Amino acid sequence: MSTATLDAFQVIADPSRRQMLMMLSKNSMTINSLAENFAMSRPAVSKHIKILYGAGFISIKDIGRERHCVLKKDGFDELQRFINFFDNFWTARLKTLQDLLTKKAKSK
Amino acid sequence: MQKAITQTWHFDQQPEEVWDYLTKPELLEQWLMKTDFKPVKGYQFQFSFDPKPGSTYHGVVNCEVKEVLPFSKLSYTWNGSTADQQRKFNSLVVWTLIPTKNGTQLHIQHDGFVVLEDMLTHEAGWKACGQRLEQLLTTISL
Repeated sequence: MSTATLDAFQVIADPSRRQMLMMLSKNSMTINSLAENFAMSRPAVSKHIKILYGAGFISIKDIGRERHCVLKKDGFDELQRFINFFDNFWTARLKTLQDLLTKKAKSK
Repeated sequence: MQKAITQTWHFDQQPEEVWDYLTKPELLEQWLMKTDFKPVKGYQFQFSFDPKPGSTYHGVVNCEVKEVLPFSKLSYTWNGSTADQQRKFNSLVVWTLIPTKNGTQLHIQHDGFVVLEDMLTHEAGWKACGQRLEQLLTTISL
């Protein structure tokens, strides 16, 4: 089964994945120790980890025989863009409003 | 922490005049978007625009009026989605007008982005992810 690459929003839309990110934000964890915190099957955990990895939210490092999940910044870039989009959006629109009102005042 | 985009603008006009531009569709259209807005609590309306080809966002925003205090406060939900409509987001826009000596201070807060909310409540934890995240948090709590 192939795991489609999901975008940042689809990735964090899932509560289990959000919880995984929360846990990893405190410490990097092995896939095993991460899995212990979830009632789902080990393959289900692996699938979520693949999705997080695919969208750039985590990297996976092999240390000895263990695979460690570490939080990675790339996945957050899209969220950053989302916030920036609206900040810029309102700045542009309100500038237009200001221009409108100024023009109107002058034409009085 | 706040999880909002906030901006403060100053206008030389009185709150009554600025209010008109926030509530009359024919004026809203001139600076924001086409809309069938009415300043009535519970009223459902839309903002719409023609997205540029390749735009990230869908051209219709579904809204519902939450609060109307004439000339001082206005809020509505702002439920948009991406162009493919796959990713929807719910948020809230709150306008506050404060009369000043020579005009109006207009404050906008756009927050409650549902997709982000859970993540951002854990501010301390996210710092572990380094500078990029710190930037994200700073941007949101401007």
